[in-house]
Amino acid sequence: MTWTVVTAAVLVIIAILGGALYRQRRLNQNLRSQLEAAAANLEKLQQACSRLAPAGVVQRLIADDVQPGTGPKAERKVATALFVDLVGFTAMSERLEPAVLARVLDGYYQRMSDAIDEHRGQVGSFVGDGIVAYFGATQPNPWQCDDAVRAALAMRAAIDEYNGELDREGLPRLSIGIGIDRGPGLAGLMGSRDRKEYAFIGRSVNIAARVQALTRIHQVDILVTETVRDDLDPGFVLVPMPAEPIKGLTKPVMTYAVRRRSTGREPAVG
Amino acid sequence: MASALDHVAWEACLLDPRRDRALESYARRKMGMPVPSIRYFTSVPWFARALIDLHPEYGLLMHLDQHTADVLTLVVSQENSCRFCYAAQRALLWAQGMSEARIQRVEQNLSRADLVPRTVAAIAFGRSQSRVGPAGAQEALQALRRAGFSDDEMKEIAFTVATTDFLNRAFSIPAIPSRPLEQMPEQMHMRLLRPLINRVLQRHRFRGRATPLERLPSYPYVRLVKAYAGSPIAPALGQTIEEMWASSHLTRRCKLLMLAVVARGLGCQVCAFEVSEALQREGLHEPTLTQVLTHLDAPDLDVLERLLVRFARDTIWFEPAALQRRTRGLRDYLSGPQLLEAIGVASLANGLCRLGAMVMGHS
Repeated sequence: MTWTVVTAAVLVIIAILGGALYRQRRLNQNLRSQLEAAAANLEKLQQACSRLAPAGVVQRLIADDVQPGTGPKAERKVATALFVDLVGFTAMSERLEPAVLARVLDGYYQRMSDAIDEHRGQVGSFVGDGIVAYFGATQPNPWQCDDAVRAALAMRAAIDEYNGELDREGLPRLSIGIGIDRGPGLAGLMGSRDRKEYAFIGRSVNIAARVQALTRIHQVDILVTETVRDDLDPGFVLVPMPAEPIKGLTKPVMTYAVRRRSTGREPAVG
Repeated sequence: MASALDHVAWEACLLDPRRDRALESYARRKMGMPVPSIRYFTSVPWFARALIDLHPEYGLLMHLDQHTADVLTLVVSQENSCRFCYAAQRALLWAQGMSEARIQRVEQNLSRADLVPRTVAAIAFGRSQSRVGPAGAQEALQALRRAGFSDDEMKEIAFTVATTDFLNRAFSIPAIPSRPLEQMPEQMHMRLLRPLINRVLQRHRFRGRATPLERLPSYPYVRLVKAYAGSPIAPALGQTIEEMWASSHLTRRCKLLMLAVVARGLGCQVCAFEVSEALQREGLHEPTLTQVLTHLDAPDLDVLERLLVRFARDTIWFEPAALQRRTRGLRDYLSGPQLLEAIGVASLANGLCRLGAMVMGHS
């Protein structure tokens, strides 16, 4: 009789422990799958964020455990700013269906961004149909002027190729104007407490935008300032343009149209 | 085993593995177990040996505690997005008996402020050297001193960071497959062998002992090697540099040009000066050197030099997949051993220039 009771009690205890263990394992499994789902979401979020800031900036913010409202200090740097804009965009936007216009613009943004990335630049922001890019803002780059001009030449080639595709679809061709200037500024995450973006702020960004506007006057597609010319590889073929006044500067500005690179010595790699 | 670098894009490997029994047994003797990745590097023996001889786990550190060295390796590999080295370091922690959960806690702790100040300072130093290079060296060294590190420990921290920068590039540029290491903890036979692997690893990971510096390498980098006199780091570093110069797949001038470009890109004045002097001894005129350093091109350069100065520049700051794609393009112009030697020289240049700024500026 006693044995029966003891056996029954042991069985009950084993059953209770077994049940508890089973519940605990299920709970653990549940928590693990939640954790994995959270990690996957975080991963997606990180990938989405990396489209909003230069490559590496998001990873660094995460690695440094940067809290909302704080951020790495902005630093003084000398960087090269490139501003590219579509010529005649307003007229084109009135003629095309919104869906078609959006597709054409996406193709343009992608090709311009690829050319900038390929030459170690960072896309700062899209301003309407314009793009601001920086060279040497996130990491030291003593070759930033050459990089910016190479990127501009790659953009020219990319637009030519894109125009071929647009022709085949019966869509209007695109043309671009590019302005490049170099100078000191402040680089880092900037903005309000709730919304920040990685930016390079300095006079050279404004000058690049205004030099870009001069491409319409001089009927060329790539213009650089004297500061850029002084640092540029002599292999680039430049043509001096007449000095023009630009807003914010007292003296007229000398600019140089970039034709091409004269030497064909470099094998194309990558 | 999910890791923080799972999302890092990694191209197909650029190199073909080739067996070399002598090198494989050298690696096995030194590290205690087969090192399959060494087969990718056997066509340039100095490079393969450097991967083993400069590894900070095996008898090179006399003063710095192993935990700080392990954390630094993990942090720098994370900064450089080297999937291979990160997976190797994780596999090492796993083999030492750490659970996946504990490894993840270690990774999460790398960014937490409640670590002991010494570890925080060491992590900050590793990050700053990988991100900004020599420009931030003095400030980061001051932080290490404030955290209580001795001069000898600081030199070993600098070496650990620089050698990890070298190893990261050596494995990242040719996209050495990381999957076997990442999958190791999931394989049943590896789980069964785990205690044995741990014992072997423990036996082969040993502290360095004072070692006299018997031979100095030829100029440049003599000062750098001398800065480690008395430590086993000095002969290891000296021998690697000497063997690199002696290898004939690329000319000495081409290697010096690559070193000069990396020194210029990182802004390391000390290395730039020494390498420039060495280039002038090779007969390169100063205007040509100035033009190369300013524009990565000059009429006096041959096709190979022109390609490799640009390649060297690409290795200073990089996204692994983009650099791997660019390096693949070089295969049309370089033989297999030339390409591998170029990867070795560029990787070593990045390590040496960072180390030069940290140690020579410091001493």
